[in-house]
Amino acid sequence: MSASNAGGGRPAGRHGARLSRLLAMVPWLLEEGGASVVDIANRFGVNEDDVVRDLELVGLCGVPPYGGGDLVDVWVDESGYVHAYPGPYFNRPTKLTPAEGFAVLAAGRALLRVAGSDHQGYLASALAKLETALGQSSLEVDLVIPVHLGDVQAAVDDRARLEVRYYSAWRDELTERRLDPHAVHSVDGQWYLEAYCHRAEGMRRFRVDRLESLVRTGEQFDPQTAALPAEVFGSGPETRPVVLIGPASARRAFEVAPAARVDELPDGRLRATIPVAGTAFLERLLLRLGPGVEVVEPRDVVAVGSQVAKRILARYA
Amino acid sequence: MAVDRLERLTNLVAFLLHGSGPVRLADIVDQVPGYPPGADARRQAFERDKRLLRDERIPIIEESGGYRIAPEDYYLAPLQLDEGERRALRVAVAAVSVSRGAGWAGLAKLGGAHGAGASSPPLGVRAELVDLPALPILHSAVRTRTTVTFVYGGQERCVDPHGLLFRWGHWYVVGHDRLREAQRTFRVDRLEGAVAVGPPAAFEHPEGFDVATALPREPWMVGGDEVVVATVKVDSLLAGRVCGELGAEAEAERRGDGSVVVHIPVTNPQVFRSWVLDLLDHAEVLAPADLRAEVVAWLRAMDP
Repeated sequence: MSASNAGGGRPAGRHGARLSRLLAMVPWLLEEGGASVVDIANRFGVNEDDVVRDLELVGLCGVPPYGGGDLVDVWVDESGYVHAYPGPYFNRPTKLTPAEGFAVLAAGRALLRVAGSDHQGYLASALAKLETALGQSSLEVDLVIPVHLGDVQAAVDDRARLEVRYYSAWRDELTERRLDPHAVHSVDGQWYLEAYCHRAEGMRRFRVDRLESLVRTGEQFDPQTAALPAEVFGSGPETRPVVLIGPASARRAFEVAPAARVDELPDGRLRATIPVAGTAFLERLLLRLGPGVEVVEPRDVVAVGSQVAKRILARYA
Repeated sequence: MAVDRLERLTNLVAFLLHGSGPVRLADIVDQVPGYPPGADARRQAFERDKRLLRDERIPIIEESGGYRIAPEDYYLAPLQLDEGERRALRVAVAAVSVSRGAGWAGLAKLGGAHGAGASSPPLGVRAELVDLPALPILHSAVRTRTTVTFVYGGQERCVDPHGLLFRWGHWYVVGHDRLREAQRTFRVDRLEGAVAVGPPAAFEHPEGFDVATALPREPWMVGGDEVVVATVKVDSLLAGRVCGELGAEAEAERRGDGSVVVHIPVTNPQVFRSWVLDLLDHAEVLAPADLRAEVVAWLRAMDP
């Protein structure tokens, strides 16, 4: 992350960002009593020239009449070390904005859920101190951790090739694949594995909670051999639009489908166009929507709802 | 030599923060070096500085015809974070992205952390949580015990918020709904329009409130009062996934063909039905009879 982030997503001008950075740096320096320019640059994500320029300037600051005792006592020596002596100004950290406080606490709470992320307890104690300073708040981030997440993560770290059994929800079948696991990440609570799939001969994304089993082959792969996808949401299964008609009460159920377009018909019913990837996807959608909804296009899938109902009913006979 | 604007701004903050009371504009531009000559130019330059400080969320108060910054509004209560704790927060901010930039800016105010310039987290974990403009407002309202009003489901709500929870891929705010006089849960992305806030310290949080238990772990336990325990048989194809989702305690029986029988407490039969049918024809509700009958009726209506 670069120094431009110090603005906190606000339209901060050059001076605003510099001021905020300076007012964050000085309290830490006064508490430490000094630090090397290299360390300060690293710690606050700023380049070294900017650190020197801004700190030389702050050494001239204080309150009228700007005599020696009224200045912020910070100076940079020739070896690139910053000396700081405690004084009455800027000697404590500044308040966090609501957005900053929320972002730090939510990130911390989320990471606490991941096993092994805080074995020394530093994160928990940092969050406790922060909550005391900001005002107590009940904030929890429930990142559900799939059974195999730890093993997948370890395989990514070790560059270990895997043999997996993976349930493909689109096709409703269990597949066996050889994977080179490159990265694991979570988007809105769902965990994904980005891996080179030897069966598909390309990078693919897998839901970690749909891995039935995994074993290491004992081989190590070279992470340079497979190009990572250009963007996180790279290749998914191909979709085609399916048109459904349902009662007005189905609006929310339609709208939760990804990329759904919902229009109102003259008679008050709703017409939804939903991109569908595979028959199993459409079956699940129709089972959720239930009896009041019918497929009108394309023609070859209008009977999917009654067919899947019949298939499941056979179990209940 | 001309005074750098950053120097003028830093001096201005120090002056307003450490004065004995509100300072009049004439005294500010007179005593803080770097303001241009001429009454109009000085006033305009000060207005620009004031706007910049407010953009940076530095709380300038205007009172009795003057300006000041209250130390209690400006300084954070003493935290005394040690280096290990700072590093842990940096790892969290690097690994979990909630609001782009705000986490890093907050971290800098807490003393930064070694390696803040690096883009990849030391742990391989990386998670993104949806960011909504209402979240910092609601979180701040929980912290300061401020009543909020918003529109939800087309109706106005007046809520004492007790906690925020991310679960099932969504943010929820849990609080006391003043009009309905009961605890309610709202999905934050479904709040309509802006959130209005009242004065702070307007209510007390319930003793020992824990937002994690305010909303059930399973969606089919939301709504409804009576708990029935459903018995479901799941074929081997999805047995692993279902047991991983429900936890080991749900598993009642594992059969020779790899299928499992699970027990699931349910209060909301509709949500439960959707979950079972998501397993397609790889699962069957065995008991109780009326829950089984409800699934069958739903399917029959789909295949008249």
